Amino acid sequence: MVCWWSSSPACFRGAYREHIRKKMNIPNVNHYIHAYKIAPWRIQRQWIGNVLLAVVALAMVAALYLNITSRTAIAGREIQDLTYSITVSQQVSGDLQTQLASLTSASAMDHRARELGFRPMETDEMEYLIVPGYSAPQPYILVSAPHLQLSALTIPPQYNQSLLDWMDEKISPSRGQQ
Amino acid sequence: MRQQYARRTQALAAVMGFIAFAIIVQITRIQNSAEADFFRQQAENYAYVLHTFYPDRGEIYDRNGRLLAGNKTVYEIGVDLSTVKDAHAIAFAVSSELGMDYDKMINEIQNPPEGLSYLVIADFIEAQPVLNLQALKKALQDQSPEGTRGGLTGLQFKSHPQRSYPEDALASNIIGFVSREGRGYFGIEEKYDTLLAGNPVRAYVPTDPNKAFEIQRMPDGTTLILTINRDLQAAAEQILDESLLEYGAQGGTIVVMDPRNGELLAIAASRRMDLNQFWNYGVIYDQASEFNPAVSKPYEPGSVTKILTMAAALDSGTVTPATSYLDTGSILVGGATIKNWNQKPWGLQDMTGCLQHSLNVCMATLSSQMGAGSFYSYMDRFGFGQLTGVDMAGEAEGRLKVPGDSDWYPVDLATNSFGQGLTATPIQMLMAVSSVANHGRSVTPHALYAMVRDGRQYNVPAQYAGSPISEQTARTLSAMLSVSLETEGSLALIPGYRVAGKTGTAQIPVNGFYDSTQTNTSFIGWGPVDDPQFMIYVWLERPSASIWGSETTAPIFAKMAKKTVILLDIPPDNIRQQLVTK
Repeated sequence: MVCWWSSSPACFRGAYREHIRKKMNIPNVNHYIHAYKIAPWRIQRQWIGNVLLAVVALAMVAALYLNITSRTAIAGREIQDLTYSITVSQQVSGDLQTQLASLTSASAMDHRARELGFRPMETDEMEYLIVPGYSAPQPYILVSAPHLQLSALTIPPQYNQSLLDWMDEKISPSRGQQ
Repeated sequence: MRQQYARRTQALAAVMGFIAFAIIVQITRIQNSAEADFFRQQAENYAYVLHTFYPDRGEIYDRNGRLLAGNKTVYEIGVDLSTVKDAHAIAFAVSSELGMDYDKMINEIQNPPEGLSYLVIADFIEAQPVLNLQALKKALQDQSPEGTRGGLTGLQFKSHPQRSYPEDALASNIIGFVSREGRGYFGIEEKYDTLLAGNPVRAYVPTDPNKAFEIQRMPDGTTLILTINRDLQAAAEQILDESLLEYGAQGGTIVVMDPRNGELLAIAASRRMDLNQFWNYGVIYDQASEFNPAVSKPYEPGSVTKILTMAAALDSGTVTPATSYLDTGSILVGGATIKNWNQKPWGLQDMTGCLQHSLNVCMATLSSQMGAGSFYSYMDRFGFGQLTGVDMAGEAEGRLKVPGDSDWYPVDLATNSFGQGLTATPIQMLMAVSSVANHGRSVTPHALYAMVRDGRQYNVPAQYAGSPISEQTARTLSAMLSVSLETEGSLALIPGYRVAGKTGTAQIPVNGFYDSTQTNTSFIGWGPVDDPQFMIYVWLERPSASIWGSETTAPIFAKMAKKTVILLDIPPDNIRQQLVTK
C-alpha cells in the first residue's frame, strides 16, 4: 500500500494491519481469496445463474402478459355480448312501450270506460273545489335529469391496455398521448 | 475428464444456441414472407364485419306523455344459400306461415341471381310468425341426428325497428307517417324528419374482442314531445265526425290553440288514415292539401275576417266602439255594389252592431275610410299571404292581393274587408286573431313542445309573430265580440264561461263566380275572455243542413269549448274569480 498522505486514518490502519501480520507471522489469505474468485467453475455457475434468472424473469413477464391478454379478450367478448344485449333490450323495451300505448290508446280507454258504465262528463256536472297549494298540471317532463351513459371509450386505459402498449407508452410518451 | 465434460457441454450449448438462433431467424423470415402478407391480409378481412345499425327513430309523445308514434321490432327473413340443406322445407314452412306463394319461393331459392349468397325472401314481418318459424327450426334441428343439420338450416331472421302508431288514425293529420324506407311524410314526421330519423348506418365492427371498445354507439333519433293533448284531440275528432253527419258537410276542420303561446292543442281533420297502413294514402286522399287542411288548404274565410277589419279600424283610430253608422244595405266601391248577407239595410248601428249582425256594408265602409294603404298594411301585419311558420309540413300561404298586383281591383278593398277575395288557412286565421285574444301580440302556432336528445330535454319557447294592434284595441275588440255574441244569443255561448268570437259564412267561388247555394262556414272564438286559455277555429265545407255559420259552426264551437274547459281543467268564470280574489 502506498500512502501519499500518511496522516490519513485509512492509510494508517492498513499499515498497522501489515505490521501486525508480519510480526505475528500470519500467512497472506488474499492469495486464496483471489484463487477462489477466478475459479472457472464459479464463473460458469454465475453465468448459468444469470441466464436462469433472465429466463425466469422472461417467463414471468410472458405469463403476466398472457394472463392480461386473455382477461382482456374475455372482457372484450363480454362487451360485445353486452352491447348486443343492450340492443335487444332496447328493442324489447320499445315493443313493450308500443304495446302498452296501444292498450291505453284513446279509443281503447274510451271503449273500456263505456263497457264499465262510464260516460263523458258535461260541464254542468263538474264541481270545483278550491284546494290550497294546488297547481295546474304542466306538460309532460320526459326527462328530469340527464342520464349518465357509460361508454367504452371512457374506460381508463389500465383496463384495456396491454403490457406492451403500456411499455410503449412509457418509452414514447408522445405516442401514448395520441 | 472434467475438460471432456466441459467440451461436451460447450458443444451442446452451441447446438442449442444455434437451434434457438435458427428458430428466431425462421420466425422473422415467416413473419416477413410473402405468404405472411397474404395471411395477414386474410386476417384483416375477417377482423371487421360490415354491420348495418338501425338506430331507433325518435318517438313522438303528446303533452301528457302518451305515445303517439313509437317503434316496434319486425323481422327480415332470409336464406343463407351456402348452408341450405332442404330448400323445399324452407319454402314450405315460410310460405305456409306467411301465406306466400310456395312455387315462387322455391324457384327463388333454387335459382338465385348469380353471385348471391344471401336471399331476402320477406321483410317487415311481425314477431309472432317469426317466433313460430324459429320454434319450428329449433324443433327440426333437435330431431335431426347428432352432427347433422336440421331441415330449416340456412333460414335466418334479422330484426330491425319499424314505425308504429299505437293510436292508429288519431291525430294522423298532425303526425304524418314514415315509409318503409324510413322517410317521413306530412306533418311532424316530415317537418322533423332529420331530427327524428335515426338513419341506418353501415359501419365496420371489429370481431377482435380486444377492439371491443371500437364498437360504435349509434345515437337514436331525437324524441319529440308535442303540444297536442291526446284526449282533446280525440274529442275534437269525435265532435267533428258527429258534426259532419249532423250538418251534412263535405269536410271540416277543428283547431284548438292556446292563444297565449301558440301551442296547438288539437287539430281535427275530417279525413284521417290509420298511420300503420300508410299505403292507403292514395285511396283516402285526392290531394296532398287534404291531409291536413288546417295548414295546407287555404280558402276564403268570409266574415271571420271582420274581426281583423274592425281591429284595424279601431287601432288606426278610424272608429271607436261607439261610432255610429247608418246602414243603407249597400255601398258602391270600385264600380261594384256591395250588399249585406241578407241583402237588407240594418239602419243605425254602432261598431258592436256591425260585428253582431256581420254587416258587409259596414266593413266595406270601414276599409274605404281607412284607405288601401292602411288597410293592407294591417292585413300584412296580421300575416295574410305569408307562412305562419307552423312546424308541420306542407303549409300553404294563401293569397292576399294588394294594390299593384295585376289582379287587384279597387273593389277588392271592400270584399277583402269581409273575407272575400283573399284566402287563408285556419292556422293563419288563428295566428292573426290571436293578437286580439293575447293583448295585441300574435303568436306563432306550433306543435312542438320539447325535444329529448342524449338524455336531455329541451323545451321550445313560445314565439311571437309581432304586435299588429295595441293592447287597448285587443281588449276593446274582445269585449265587443263577447257582447255581440251575448246580445245575439249565439249558439256559440257556453254556460258559465264568457267567450268572444265571430261566425263566418263564405260563398265558394266556382268558375270565377260565387255559388250562393254552397258555402264554407267558419267560427273563431276564444275564452274565457278575461284570461283566454283556448282559441278554437271551426271550418265546415259545404254544409247542407244550413249554409250559415251561426247555425252550424257556432254550435260546434260551443260543443268543442265545453270539452276543452273540462279537459284543460278551466273552472267557470265565477270560480276563477273566487280563486283570484283569494
